Amino acid sequence: MKTSRPPAVANAIKPKRRPEVDVDVIVIGGGVNGVGVARDASMRGLSVALFERNDLAFGASGNSSGMIHGGLRYLTYDPQVTESSCRDSGHIQAIAPHLLFRIPFLVPVDSRRGARILFELMDGFFEAYDGYQPLKRGKSHARLSADEVRKLEPGIAGDLVGGMTFDEWGIDGARLCTENAIDAIERGAKVFTGCTVEQIQRRDDTGEVLGVVYRDRTTGVIGRMKTSVVINATGAWAPITAALGGLPPERARVRPGKGIHIVFDRRLTNYAIAARTIDGRQIFLEPWQNMSIVGTTDDDYYGDLDDVRSTSEEVRYLMQGMARVFPQIRSARAIGTYAGVRPSLYAFGPSEDNLSRDHKIVDHTRDGAPGLYSMVGGKLASYRLFAEEMTDVLSELFGRGVPCATHKSPLPGGDAVCDALTLATRLEIDAVAARRLVYRHGSRAERIAERIQQRPREAVTVCACEPVLEGEIRYAVKHELARTVADVSRRTRLGLGACGGMRCAARCGQIVAEEQGLPPREGLRQASAFLLRQAAMRAPALGPEQARQDALGIASMRAELGVDAEDAEDRDEIEATAKSSVEATA
Amino acid sequence: MKRRIVVIGAGIAGVAAAWSARRRGCDVTIVSAGAGASALGGGAVDDVPWEQLVRSSRALGLVPRARPLSDDLHAFSNDLGAWSLADDRLAWVATIAGRLRPARGRDHALLDFGALGGARVMLPRAERASWDADAIAAGLSDDPFARAHRITFIAADVPVLRFDEERRVADGDLALRHDGEARLAWLAARLIDGVKHAAANAVLVGPWLGAAGSRSEALSKLVGVPVGEALTGVGSPAGQRFEAARGRLLAAIGARVIDDRVTEIDRDGGALAITLRHGASLLVDGIVLALGGLIGGGLSYEPPDHRAAADLPSGVRAPFVLSLRAPVTLVAHVGADPSTAEATSSLHGPDIDVAAWPRGDRPGTLESAGIRCNGARAAEGITAAGEVVAGRPRTALEAAAAGIRAGNEA
Ligand SMILES: Cc1cc2nc3c(=O)[nH]c(=O)nc-3n(C[C@H](O)[C@H](O)[C@H](O)COP(=O)(O)OP(=O)(O)OC[C@H]3O[C@@H](n4cnc5c(N)ncnc54)[C@H](O)[C@@H]3O)c2cc1C
Ligand SMILES: Cc1cc2nc3c(=O)[nH]c(=O)nc-3n(C[C@H](O)[C@H](O)[C@H](O)COP(=O)(O)OP(=O)(O)OC[C@H]3O[C@@H](n4cnc5c(N)ncnc54)[C@H](O)[C@@H]3O)c2cc1C
Repeated sequence: MKTSRPPAVANAIKPKRRPEVDVDVIVIGGGVNGVGVARDASMRGLSVALFERNDLAFGASGNSSGMIHGGLRYLTYDPQVTESSCRDSGHIQAIAPHLLFRIPFLVPVDSRRGARILFELMDGFFEAYDGYQPLKRGKSHARLSADEVRKLEPGIAGDLVGGMTFDEWGIDGARLCTENAIDAIERGAKVFTGCTVEQIQRRDDTGEVLGVVYRDRTTGVIGRMKTSVVINATGAWAPITAALGGLPPERARVRPGKGIHIVFDRRLTNYAIAARTIDGRQIFLEPWQNMSIVGTTDDDYYGDLDDVRSTSEEVRYLMQGMARVFPQIRSARAIGTYAGVRPSLYAFGPSEDNLSRDHKIVDHTRDGAPGLYSMVGGKLASYRLFAEEMTDVLSELFGRGVPCATHKSPLPGGDAVCDALTLATRLEIDAVAARRLVYRHGSRAERIAERIQQRPREAVTVCACEPVLEGEIRYAVKHELARTVADVSRRTRLGLGACGGMRCAARCGQIVAEEQGLPPREGLRQASAFLLRQAAMRAPALGPEQARQDALGIASMRAELGVDAEDAEDRDEIEATAKSSVEATA
Repeated sequence: MKRRIVVIGAGIAGVAAAWSARRRGCDVTIVSAGAGASALGGGAVDDVPWEQLVRSSRALGLVPRARPLSDDLHAFSNDLGAWSLADDRLAWVATIAGRLRPARGRDHALLDFGALGGARVMLPRAERASWDADAIAAGLSDDPFARAHRITFIAADVPVLRFDEERRVADGDLALRHDGEARLAWLAARLIDGVKHAAANAVLVGPWLGAAGSRSEALSKLVGVPVGEALTGVGSPAGQRFEAARGRLLAAIGARVIDDRVTEIDRDGGALAITLRHGASLLVDGIVLALGGLIGGGLSYEPPDHRAAADLPSGVRAPFVLSLRAPVTLVAHVGADPSTAEATSSLHGPDIDVAAWPRGDRPGTLESAGIRCNGARAAEGITAAGEVVAGRPRTALEAAAAGIRAGNEA
C-alpha cells in the first residue's frame, strides 16, 4: 500500500542515472512541448526517448491558429509575461527564420457608444505593446482613420471610427514540431511515433518511476523501456496519461477547450482582421501561408481526443461573427476545417475565454510518484521557454550544469538562407513549388534538391494545390518520421487544397508504401482513410463550389479506389472474396 | 404532327433519352449547356457502384456477377459505339491507383483483365506525373484479383513519349496524338520491342489511346497482344471519346442540337414552354430533364448562409436548387431517410456534417439529392433521368437505362 505522504526516498534517488535504465528521460507526447523538451534535454547531454501515440503535431500543436504571438493579452495585468513572450517569439524567429511569416493585424473599431474612448484606450494599449515589438522584430502599431482602414481593406463593413494595426508572426506548427523532433534525433534522442504509452511503471514501495510499457499501434507489438524520469507532455490527454501512471487524473488536470478553424482557398486579405462573435469573443480572419483561416471557437470538450471534428454549428457561429465585419466571407470558398483541443490550465467556473493560457510543471513527487512530471498548459508561442523550464528541472536532477541553448542553436533548416528562385531554375521546377519547399525546409531544401537531381523523376508534382513534389514526400518518409498519407500531409500540407486530396492521395499512398516496403494496398488503405477524414472535416463548411468539387471527389474516389470505409479497413475479407472467386471460376 | 420532345442535358442520360425518343418517332431537340459528369468519367461503365457489388456478393459468399441488361441498353450501347458491354460477364479494369476492380462494361480503350487469366502485363515507364509504372505495377500485382488469376505486372523501359514536352502535356492531348496513324505505328513499334524483351503478353498504358475514339483495338492488332488503358478517376480522355461518340450518334439519328442553357419551364395550356438564356423559347409536348447532378451542374448545393452577407440568412431557402426553374420536387437524404430538400427547420440549412459523403450502404447527401420521380415521371409531361434524379446510383448505365425509359415515356 502506498502512503499518502511523499516517500522519503524522493531525494535519495539523486543522482538519477541508475545503471539499469535504458534512457535518462522518457517523454510522452509528440506535440510542441514534448518535442521541445526532447530537443533541449538531448542538447544538454541527456539520453531521451519520446513516444507519440499518433503523429508529431497530431494534437493541438498541428491544429492551432499558428501564431507565435507576443502575449498581447497579458499586457494589462502582467506585462512581464508579454515581455518574455515577445523575447521568445524573437528567439523562435532566430532559430527557425524560414518558418515564420509576418501577420499584420487590423482591428476595425466601429462607432458604437463609447467608441471614441475605446479607440484612445486601444491606441495607448498598442503603444505600450510597441515597446516590446523590437524584441521580435515587429513593427509599431498604426492608428488609422476610417478611410485609411477602408483603403487597406475595402471589404470591411460597418460605420467605423477608425482602426489599429499591430504586428504578429505566423508559423506552421506541424513543421515546428517536426523540426524539433528531427533535431532531437540528430542529437541522439529516439522518437517513436505511432507508439502509445500504455502504462507508466512504478515501484510498489517507493512509487518511483521505473519505466513505461508501450504498444506500437501498427504492429501491436508491446515493449518496455526503463527509465527513472517520465515527462507527461500529452496536452489535453494529460489527465489520461497521469492515470496510466496510477495517479488520479486530476493530478494533471486540464480544461479541454476545443477550437476549430475554417480554411479558405486563398489569401482573402493582406491583413488579419479582428472581429467579435455574438457572445463577444474575439475571432479573426487570418491570411495564413497560401490560404486564409477563420478562428476560433473555445468550447469544453469531452469527446474522443483522437478524433476531434468540427460541426456545422461551430462553423455558422464563426461565420456570423466574421461576416459582420467582413461580409464577403460568406461568398468566399471554404475548403475545409480543422479542430484541436487546448490543454488550458484547469479552473472550474470562469468562461472558457478567461482561462489562462499559462503553463505549469507538476512534480508528482508530492503525489507519491517521484520521477514523474506533467507539463500542463502552454502555447505554441511559449513552447521553447516551457521546455527550457522543464529541462532545467531535469538538469538539476541529473546534476548537469549545462545551460539551455535552444534559443541560440538553429532548428534544422534554420541555419542558412536558401534561395528559392535559384533552386527552381536548377531543378526545372515551378517557382511557387520551390518557394513552398524552401518555406517548409529552409536550408534543408537543398537536401531534397540533391535527391531530385540524382533522380529527376522525383521532380514531378504530386499535389498540385500546395504544391508538393514527389521528392519531398519520399524525404518526409525517409527523414521526417512520416509513416502514412496523413503524416505526409501534416508535414507538407499535401492534399489540403481545394481538391481535397482527390488527385494526390492515392499517389502519395503508393509512395509511402513503397518507401517503407509495405504492401501497396496498405498505401491505398491510407489514402482512403485520409480522403474520408478530410471529407468529414470539409462537410460542415461546404458551399456551392466546394460541394460540386466534393461530388466530383466522391465520383473519382469511387472510380479509382472505392468509397467504402469498411472496405478500406477490412483487407482480409477482400482477399477471401478473391479466393472464392477463383474457386468458383475454376 | 410528330410529338415534340426536348431533352435538356447532353450527358449519357440525355443522349440515351434522345435516342429512345427518336426510335419512337418523336421530333427531338437536345439542349445542353456544356460538359457534365459524362465528359469527366474514367470509362468504366457500371450499373451499380462496383463496391456495392463487391460488398453484397461478399456478404453472400458469392463471386461478383454481371447482371443481365435490357436489349434496349445493348442496342443503345452498340449505336453509341464507345463501350464494350458483354452479355454475361463483368469487365475487370486496372485503376491508376493500382487496383483491379469489376465494371459492368468499359470504354473500348480500357484493358479488360476479366479475359486475361495468367497474363504477364507490361507497363511502359514514362516520366509523367500520374504514371509511375513501377508503383502501379506493384499495386496491381498485390491486388487480390490479380493474385487469384495469376496476372503479373512488370514495369519496363519502353520509350512511349516521343517528344520531351510530352512529359507534361495533359492525358487528353497525348491521347489526341494517337488518333494519327503514323504516331500509332511509331508507338506500336516501340511496344513490339518492349513486349519481346519483357516476354509479356499484354500491355497496360496510361489513358493515352485516342481522343476521337479508342485506338486500343488498332494498336493491339499492330502489336499482336492486347494493349489497353488503365482507368483514371477524373479527366480521362474516355470523356472526350464519349463526347465524340455522342456527336456522331446525335447526327446519325437526326436530333437537333442546341448549345444553350434552359432557365425556365412553364406550362402553357397543354404544352410546355422552355425559356432559353440566349435563343428563342420553345413550345413542346414533352420534356426530359437530364441535367446531371452536382457535377454536371444540373443541381447545386447552396445553403442559405451562403452569400447571405448579413448576420442572419435573409430567409428560408432550399439548400439544393436546380439549374432551371421547373415544376418538380427536390429531395435529399440528410439522415437515413430522404426528405424534401425544401426549407429545413434550421434557418441556416441542413447539417450535413456526417452525411455529405456516402458510408457503407448509406448514400451521401451530395449524391442522393435530386428530383423526386415516380419511375421516370417527375411531373405532368416531364420525365427525368440520370444524376438529376434523387436516390438513384450515380453510374453510367443507370444514366443510360433511365434515359431510355424517360425517352420512351416522354
Ligand atoms: C484552436 C487552437 C488555437 C490555438 N492557437 C494558438 C496560437 O495561435 N498560438 C499559440 O501559441 N498557441 C495556440 N494554441 C495553443 C497550442 O496549440 C497548444 O497549447 C500547444 O500546441 C500544446 O502542445 P502540447 O505539446 O502540450 O499538446 P499537443 O500538441 O496536443 O500534443 C500532445 C500529444 O500527446 C500525444 N499523446 C497523448 N497520449 C499519449 C500516450 N499515451 N502516449 C503517447 N503519446 C500520447 C497526442 O497524440 C498528442 O500528439 C491553440 C490551440 C488550439 C486548440
Ligand atoms: C470522375 C467521375 C468518375 C466516374 N466514374 C464512373 C464509373 O467508374 N462508372 C460509372 O458507371 N459511372 C461513373 N461516373 C458517373 C457517370 O459518369 C455519371 O453518372 C453519368 O455520366 C451521368 O450522366 P448524366 O447524363 O446524368 O449527367 P451529366 O453527364 O452531368 O450531364 C448533364 C448535362 O446537363 C447539362 N445541363 C445542366 N443544366 C442545364 C440547363 N439548365 N440547361 C441546359 N443544359 C443543362 C450540363 O451542361 C451537362 O452537360 C463517373 C463520373 C465522374 C464525374
